[in-house]
Amino acid sequence: MYIIQQLINGLSQGSIYALMAIGYTLIVGVVGLITFAYGEMVMIGAMSAYLFYTFVCPNFFLGILVAFASSGIAGIFIHKVAYERFLEAPKHISLLCTVGCSILIKNVAQIAFGSQGNAMPMAFETKPFYLFGTDLYITTIHLAVIAIVLILSVGLSLFLHKTRVGLMLRAVSQDKMASSLVAINVKKVTLIGNIVGTGLGGVAGLLYGTYLTNVSTVFGTVVGLKAISACVLGGMTNIPGAALGAVLIGILENFGIALFTSSYRDIFAFIFVFIALTFRPEGLFVFQFGRKGKGGKKA
Amino acid sequence: MSQAKHFFEKHRKLAVLIGIGILIILPQLTRSNYIRGVLARIIVYATLASGLNIINGYSGQSCLGIVGFTCIGAYSGAILTTELGLPFLASLLITLLLCAAAGFVVSLPTLKLNGMFLSIITLGFSEMMRLTALNWQKLTNGPLGIKGIPNVELFGWKVKSGAPFYYLALVALLLVVFILNRLLKSRVGRAWIAIREDQDAARSLGVKVSHYRCVNFMTGAIICGTMGVFIAYYYRYVSPDMFSLDEGFNVLSMCVVGGSGTLFGPIAGAFVINLLTEGFRFASEWRMVMYAVLIITMMWVRPQGLFGAKDSVIAGQMSFWNFFAKKNKKKEDGDVNHIGG
Repeated sequence: MYIIQQLINGLSQGSIYALMAIGYTLIVGVVGLITFAYGEMVMIGAMSAYLFYTFVCPNFFLGILVAFASSGIAGIFIHKVAYERFLEAPKHISLLCTVGCSILIKNVAQIAFGSQGNAMPMAFETKPFYLFGTDLYITTIHLAVIAIVLILSVGLSLFLHKTRVGLMLRAVSQDKMASSLVAINVKKVTLIGNIVGTGLGGVAGLLYGTYLTNVSTVFGTVVGLKAISACVLGGMTNIPGAALGAVLIGILENFGIALFTSSYRDIFAFIFVFIALTFRPEGLFVFQFGRKGKGGKKA
Repeated sequence: MSQAKHFFEKHRKLAVLIGIGILIILPQLTRSNYIRGVLARIIVYATLASGLNIINGYSGQSCLGIVGFTCIGAYSGAILTTELGLPFLASLLITLLLCAAAGFVVSLPTLKLNGMFLSIITLGFSEMMRLTALNWQKLTNGPLGIKGIPNVELFGWKVKSGAPFYYLALVALLLVVFILNRLLKSRVGRAWIAIREDQDAARSLGVKVSHYRCVNFMTGAIICGTMGVFIAYYYRYVSPDMFSLDEGFNVLSMCVVGGSGTLFGPIAGAFVINLLTEGFRFASEWRMVMYAVLIITMMWVRPQGLFGAKDSVIAGQMSFWNFFAKKNKKKEDGDVNHIGG
């Protein structure tokens, strides 16, 4: 029973990580550079939703919009500072710029709002549903989280595969030079990809805050590392793979807490990535024959 | 400016000797024990940055979590001294072996992947080490940390904090720079630089890329780990929050500001950053913001660092002046292409 309950918890936590990982993978794919400021984007989404809930109105859907918009705006900032000039420079330059952005945003947020934990106001009632008359339960938060993540992933998939902008995004993520040859404005498209990616991170931040009923300005770093880990597990540019990896990390974490102690919780994801990278460096869910490890090596 | 540069190039040995002389005289210029302590810390950080420089500057990988090794080193030094009562040199030696093993294990997953994965792995590693130190209550005393580390004792000579510790750290720094200098002129160093410039070309010339990358990472890890012992003896106290990710970025910013890929860049960077942070101690919480702005500005204006050469691979033709020069040049190139094409 207990194990199955942990599975349910892990699934909903993993789906939050999945949303982050999807956004992260989108950024890595389109921009072609790794970012370390992603955790701060998640934090901005959570904090802005918290402020919106407390000062305007606790409406779940408006909160999602606010989180998306504020993280998207922060994404524009990151793009201007760290990517735009350095798309063709050595990669470590933009990487260090994103590290700088991360420190900047984290510390400014801490100075402005303090580093204490804030209780997240609930936008809807928390009710447990008991399953099959046993003591297994699913709360409304679990359901809302999983539903939102599913809706957003399907929406993103439609956006990428059915719209013109989505086509441009996919083209740029495959080859920047070739897409600029067919008259795609690469800088603009990377900006759009970055905004969508960070915006999804912001929504994930809101969901994370709702799930833990607690937000603060300091949780960004650890969460960002988990998004990176999931992205690596998926093979860097493979969106479904990253989502699967994230769900796996969520479940593994909850089992880890159940089997060992909760204080080691943040370590499990990294150990998993260590092992995974040693034995399957091209990503856990990349099944490519012929030229091996293309996705992993390119990013 | 260019005359000074010419002078340095002509009398390189003399310049180095003058620099060492200045470093030796420095703590005698002040009577305040506080400033001497700060100077000793700068030297320790300069050595740490030199260790990081081996990885970031000479092999084209970016290691972000070097503090993970410093954490291992500091804790092993502290535990070996307080629990087992081992002398300084013995704990230094054991720590060295431990860090070499840790460096080997950490570099394993990334040997066949490109440099970006190393930054992810090391970032995770650093956080893992901090969390382990925080949670392994029996060994590390958890968040309270380990107190009561004695003064260094070398062959019966008690090294007090302040000026004596400064000289001990200076010996370590000079040793590291000397070893690094010799290494870079050897087959190993040439292989590292070849890998940094172009990995595929190096491989095609018969350089064992993954072997040398592993050696490179282990060398950096050993130096940073042994400096962890120095840090433990310097503060005479270790606690997990001394090894947060921000601390790692602190060391990294020294390396970057001074110029990674140069021997003296990290030392200059350690002086610049530490003097800045000491000078701006009143701006307590804005200090980290300053770091961030400094790193970003440095990347925009002079990505090769203060000491880096203009045409260094690290800069990648992206330095401020090249940026404008390139714009004009591109126009000419474009015209030529039009005529030719």
